[in-house]
Amino acid sequence: MSTGGYISGIGHAGLLIWLVMGWGFDSEPLDFEVAPVSVVSGEEYAALVAATSPQPQTELPPAPETPVVEETPPAPETPVETPAEAPPPPPAPEAPAEETPPPPAPEPLPEPPAEMAEEIAPPPPPPAAAPAPTEVPEIAERPVPRPAPRVAPEAVAPPPPDAQVADVVREAATPEAESAEVAEIEEEATAPEEATTEIVTEAEEPASAPETPPAPQVAALAPPSAPRPPSRPARAAPQPEPAPETPAQTQTAASENVTPEPEPAPSTDTSDAVADALAAALASTPAPSAPAAAANPGPPMTGAEQDAFRVAVQQCWNVDVGSEAARVTLTVAFDLDPQGRVQGDVRRISGAGGSDGAIEAAFQAARRAILRCERDGYVLPADKYEQWKEVEMTFDPSGMRMR
Amino acid sequence: MLTRTIALLLAPLVAATVLPAPVTAQSGPLRITISEGVIEPLPFAVPGFQAETAGAEQIAADITRVVAQDLSGTGLFREIPASSFISTPASFASPVAYPDWRAINAQALITGAVAVNGDQLTVKFRLYDVFTGAELGEGLQFAGTTGGWRRMGHKVADAVYSRITGESGYFDSRVVFVSESGPKDNRARRLGIMDYDGENRQFLTDSNSLVLAPRFSPNGDRVLYTSYESGFPRINLLDVASVGRRQITTVEGEMAFSPRFSKDGGAVIYSVSTGGNTDIYRTELGSGAHSRLTSAPSIETSPSLSPDGSQIVFESDRSGTQQLYVMPASGGEPRRISFGEGRYGSPVWSPRGDLIAFTKQNAGRFHIGVMRTDGSEERLLTSSFLDESPTWAPNGRVLMFTRETQGASGGPQIYSVDISGRNLKQVPTGGFASDPSWGPLQQ
Repeated sequence: MSTGGYISGIGHAGLLIWLVMGWGFDSEPLDFEVAPVSVVSGEEYAALVAATSPQPQTELPPAPETPVVEETPPAPETPVETPAEAPPPPPAPEAPAEETPPPPAPEPLPEPPAEMAEEIAPPPPPPAAAPAPTEVPEIAERPVPRPAPRVAPEAVAPPPPDAQVADVVREAATPEAESAEVAEIEEEATAPEEATTEIVTEAEEPASAPETPPAPQVAALAPPSAPRPPSRPARAAPQPEPAPETPAQTQTAASENVTPEPEPAPSTDTSDAVADALAAALASTPAPSAPAAAANPGPPMTGAEQDAFRVAVQQCWNVDVGSEAARVTLTVAFDLDPQGRVQGDVRRISGAGGSDGAIEAAFQAARRAILRCERDGYVLPADKYEQWKEVEMTFDPSGMRMR
Repeated sequence: MLTRTIALLLAPLVAATVLPAPVTAQSGPLRITISEGVIEPLPFAVPGFQAETAGAEQIAADITRVVAQDLSGTGLFREIPASSFISTPASFASPVAYPDWRAINAQALITGAVAVNGDQLTVKFRLYDVFTGAELGEGLQFAGTTGGWRRMGHKVADAVYSRITGESGYFDSRVVFVSESGPKDNRARRLGIMDYDGENRQFLTDSNSLVLAPRFSPNGDRVLYTSYESGFPRINLLDVASVGRRQITTVEGEMAFSPRFSKDGGAVIYSVSTGGNTDIYRTELGSGAHSRLTSAPSIETSPSLSPDGSQIVFESDRSGTQQLYVMPASGGEPRRISFGEGRYGSPVWSPRGDLIAFTKQNAGRFHIGVMRTDGSEERLLTSSFLDESPTWAPNGRVLMFTRETQGASGGPQIYSVDISGRNLKQVPTGGFASDPSWGPLQQ
């Protein structure tokens, strides 16, 4: 054996002796906590739980416990501390407290809250999920009108199933048995035909649109539009002298129209002087190429009066939006008698935007609208007859084509 | 006195500053502009046509029904039931009691009479505008054979439609289509022809070979279609009257499909696929001369000529997605007209010339839509699992198309829709049917 072999043998032997003897190592044990553990029976544990569970249930529900839930996951400290004695942790602690395995320690005062936190953890989410409705967009999407056979400026809800379609809403009236002596007319309920405000193609319909949407939905989809202008009160009694007068009479009538209030008896009041002067000034104003009768047309028609007339006609103006006539802008003229009825023919003044056939079709549609909706005469202010006895009406469907 | 003098001096000023506008504004007729109306079917009444000869009662009643169904079927008219009539004309020549018709809100009144002599049939009618209290146009009479009674009814309805709308009708027209039968994975297809309303269905070919995409000639006497009789797609020309057919000589040895007639019916424009590239060609039916209209390294197909024959609309994926393009009929630089989301295909130029119908695929749905010829005012009319192959009514007012339903029991059916998007309905075809091509009004 060589010298090197002796040296190696001595060195390894010394190392082994040094390792066995532990010379030079710090033998002080590491610090660690020791918890006293004892074994309890199932009955004892049940009694313990029964005695302690009500308390945390009444205390934990308050909201401040919620953060505990998020700190709970690091809780595996418990199994680490008692790996030997404690049973394996429950795989899915979803069950109530009674079904959970017994806690590892008999007096785990600090632990029950953690355990209960795990069990009660599921309830907190519902309060968080409850306010979900607040996630509804602040700005609702534009409602898609319901498809309906009729498209009109104003949406109309479907009439009741037992109602007949008519222009007015009327409740059904049936004769009462006890009033047999009085002849009563049995009337069926009527309601306007269902209408929507624009054409709804299949591509625009909401996929889940019910065939017959309930009434509340109808109201919800109704566009925010102004109510129909109120009908005017009954026409005033015919004026004593409504007929065309001589120029002199017309001037007198004009002065009366300017000051509609009945004039008091002759006086020398200053207002009279002003009124007289004003009337004289009006009378002396040259009428632009109008006959003498139109020189003093009376008070002008208000915007509301003109709107009422326009609405009365437009509800009978049926536009075939797919036709060439829907590209024709047409002006017609007609005369009205004092009762608001059309006198003579409706005349075509101009038409543009289509072929002759399209213009003719547009003219017929306009004429039908005027004649169909006059019924017993358009409701117009009788005292302003001079203003509306001649009418020029322009039908412009440009806004209807893409509805 | 001083007060009166001041008043006299100030009065003209007051009159000039306060009152002039209303006075001058209404010195002429009252001027009103109507820009809002309603869109609703026009109510009409059609009392049963009078039978002027013995034995004509049934045919008179049948013709009356055809007229009423044609008009009501447009969605533009609504028939008032006979039970609402207050009175009916005693004879064709009887004066019309307008108040009775106004009372039930009939806006148009159609009266007619039918006479049968042997197999000769005569139908005459008059149309009245109830609220103007005048006849709309003059009375009109048609003569034919009893076997063509349905066509007589269609012709009356066309005349009524034309007088009220100012446009020609489309009732006396036919549709050629592909009739499909058998299981979904092995459908037998053959060409069929029917009236626009699905009546009088007949077959033009047998089901021995696959046929696709029939197209009527401008005058309705011939039909172009794609046949797989030889195993490759070839274009055939079929004579409707004799049912005789021949293959069109196209570019040699390649797949030819998607044919359409030129405006005069003397030429065919179609697609040819060569080595993965598809271009549009034109072949003169008389001389057989060919000309190539596109030459891009992309797929150009589904050509459709404008009514004046000056332009062609077609689909192409040259931009990376399938879009619509318009180019001169003789070829040239195309101009893209579709820019919306999704893929556009199967463009068809309207007989009116103002619109182009197309198929659009977007977000998993298929649509039939229309747009102006410059691509503006695009509007989708339908939406379903699969809508395709639009074809125009001869007056450019209605579209027919194929709608296929999902599932093992699903299959293609033919539908129609007004260009306003209203009146979507199925056309009865007696079974599965696809690829409709709407012919012209019959002579």
